[in-house]
Amino acid sequence: MASSRAHRGGNSAFGGISRRDFLRIGGAGLAGASLFGLAGCGESDSQSGGEGWKQYKGMTLNFISENTAPTSAIAANLKPFKDLTGIDVKINQLELGALVQKVSLDVSSGDPQIHVIYADPYQVLAPFSAAMADLNKFNEDDSLPSVQKGVGDFIPTQLAAAGRFEDEEALYALPYDCPTMIWMYRKDLFDKYGQQMQQDLGFDPMPSEQITWDQYFRIAQWFNENADEVSYGTGHQAKQYDSLMCDFSNILWSYGGDYFENGEQVGRIGTQEPGPAMLDQDGALEAAEFYNRLVGIAHPGSTSWDWTALDEAFRAGEVAMAPNWHEFAAGVESSDLGGKVAYERLPGGPTRSASMWGGTGIGINGELSEDEQRAAWLFLVWATSPETQLSGLKSDVGGGTPTRQSIYEESEVQQARQRPSDMPNILTYEAVSKAWDPENIGLRPKIEKWNECDTVIFTELSKMLAGDKSPEQAMQAAKEGFDQANGV
Amino acid sequence: MLLPALLILAAISLFPFFYIVWMSFHEVSLIGGVSFEWVGLENWTELFTDPNVRSSWIVSGVYFVATVGLEMVLGIIIALLVHELIWGKNLILSMLLLPMFVAPVIVGLLGRFLVDSTYGLYAWFLERTGLITWEILGSKGSALAAVVLMDVWEWTPLVTLIVLAGLASMPQAVLEAARVDGANYLQRLRHIVAPLISGVVVVALLIRSMDAIRYYDIISITTNGGPADATKVIPIRLYETAFRFQELGYAAAIGLGMLAFSILVANLFMRILKRQGLAR
Repeated sequence: MASSRAHRGGNSAFGGISRRDFLRIGGAGLAGASLFGLAGCGESDSQSGGEGWKQYKGMTLNFISENTAPTSAIAANLKPFKDLTGIDVKINQLELGALVQKVSLDVSSGDPQIHVIYADPYQVLAPFSAAMADLNKFNEDDSLPSVQKGVGDFIPTQLAAAGRFEDEEALYALPYDCPTMIWMYRKDLFDKYGQQMQQDLGFDPMPSEQITWDQYFRIAQWFNENADEVSYGTGHQAKQYDSLMCDFSNILWSYGGDYFENGEQVGRIGTQEPGPAMLDQDGALEAAEFYNRLVGIAHPGSTSWDWTALDEAFRAGEVAMAPNWHEFAAGVESSDLGGKVAYERLPGGPTRSASMWGGTGIGINGELSEDEQRAAWLFLVWATSPETQLSGLKSDVGGGTPTRQSIYEESEVQQARQRPSDMPNILTYEAVSKAWDPENIGLRPKIEKWNECDTVIFTELSKMLAGDKSPEQAMQAAKEGFDQANGV
Repeated sequence: MLLPALLILAAISLFPFFYIVWMSFHEVSLIGGVSFEWVGLENWTELFTDPNVRSSWIVSGVYFVATVGLEMVLGIIIALLVHELIWGKNLILSMLLLPMFVAPVIVGLLGRFLVDSTYGLYAWFLERTGLITWEILGSKGSALAAVVLMDVWEWTPLVTLIVLAGLASMPQAVLEAARVDGANYLQRLRHIVAPLISGVVVVALLIRSMDAIRYYDIISITTNGGPADATKVIPIRLYETAFRFQELGYAAAIGLGMLAFSILVANLFMRILKRQGLAR
């Protein structure tokens, strides 16, 4: 399964390789073959520390990032970049809301100080794409190192979602992290109660691609009534916050609903004019009705939990299963639940299985001087290189999961898919790789007014969960809020 | 002679004020440097017709009355009790004042940990005793009560401190005379202490009121305005409008609305102080 996904990705990505990449790869191959008889052996050209890397020696770059695992890993391992380029990097890690505020002030200041931006596709890239540099000009510049293995090595859905806005050609960010929602469950409890559950429920409850959300509901209810090991069957990140939108969206898409008419395109490439919202349509209404019922039988803490609190509750054994971000697997595996948890793609609905992708790219502040932008490019190439991503994956401070296909084909990474694993996030690979397929990935709308729309949807959902509004009223109000925000 | 001081005042106070007024009549764009597009009274019209802003003002009103009211009542009671202590007064006072020195954001984090259903001590205790069996920050009423109590915990000591200062400055001869004349504690409290400390009480009320209007930190950390907007006070709405939605012109109008409310409240209390002859 994994190799077929990578194979498909490789083919589709080929079209994304620039003429320069193609010539470089071909040239390097021929030169390598003639000189060494083995193409691609030895240290890669783009990280060999040549003049291209050293041209901005002595400069200092400011990198603003959300406080995420990949950035923590990079912050703990900046020496190789300093050795390679002579450039110092100051990293400022913040909560995402504070990051958006700082970026907005920096790009308007007239004297920008931030060089490398953690460009959340929805909260930074879409509203500030005009202030971001198009990376193609650096990648095609012969005087600068280019992206190792070409941009086609990035997982295609992630490259589009994290890197592009409105334009299939312009590239504003390189995929940097890729948290994705999957089904985390207590395998020990499913093993213990599986047969009894099957008898009671009339279907095999073991998490698999065949399980639907309706069956998930019934499994959760069964745990509520029959298992003493956990307080509740399921838990959700349903606090009035971004996390609530993420949790609900999985169900919205699987029930055939969407935020806008051309949801796939609006999520993958994005648009300034998404048109009227579709939240008053049947699929959305069914999804809202189901979600209301589901959270109704979930752990009561769900309505005050964001993603971090849900993960803490899961690790504390409060719930038997939850839709959770796959990058939390490292924490789960190192907790008391280590070895007792397994991972599966999220359940399906009447239309499909959909898994919210929450990844981000890193981009360059386009308000900077040309030299500063070029120096920042060096950091982008290094930070997203196969070596750095692999190093991050092994990092003691946790390093997210790679956004490049080639890394998942490395033998040590493939071995790490089985326990005991020194790369615990890779234990989720089977689940998450399926979630990244174009037909399964869940991409929220990439629109300029997403922050407003996001607030509208999670506020209306919160009102629904609090009993202030019916699912129909909540979805109607959300549609009106979306349309007002987008000037429809 | 006054010119340098006036220039500094203008730089740090008047210029930002007029700039915000200017912003409130424009749509402000940040990309590529700040730019303004004249929209006339659009932001102001929206301010008075936006149901979301209206609901935030209502939440702010409830929050304002609850926090300031509780802080004043508790602060005065604690001050009266501490004032009566014969020994250990300084130690007790030092311990009582501790919450005031904690940053509000830390109070929010502490509160969140204490009422978290997974590992919160208070949540565990309340559930075990059957007093609260639901999720404290996940239910509308209890979430609002929780953030109010966190604020009360932090700022009641300030009221205590101010009232204690008033109590300490009372002329002892008057109190002694009342005691000799046979006035009991409640009579002395009502007829002598209350009039003597009313000035400082109004000052404490003024200080806490100004602060309560711009309350942000604890709610941002704990509930983010939820659930169902039950704790979305006007400063949270302002922050969201300015820095999440990038609608700086509209946010300026909301901010000026808060300023107008603050001035109204301050004027009200100043009038009371003047009536008592404590302010000119």
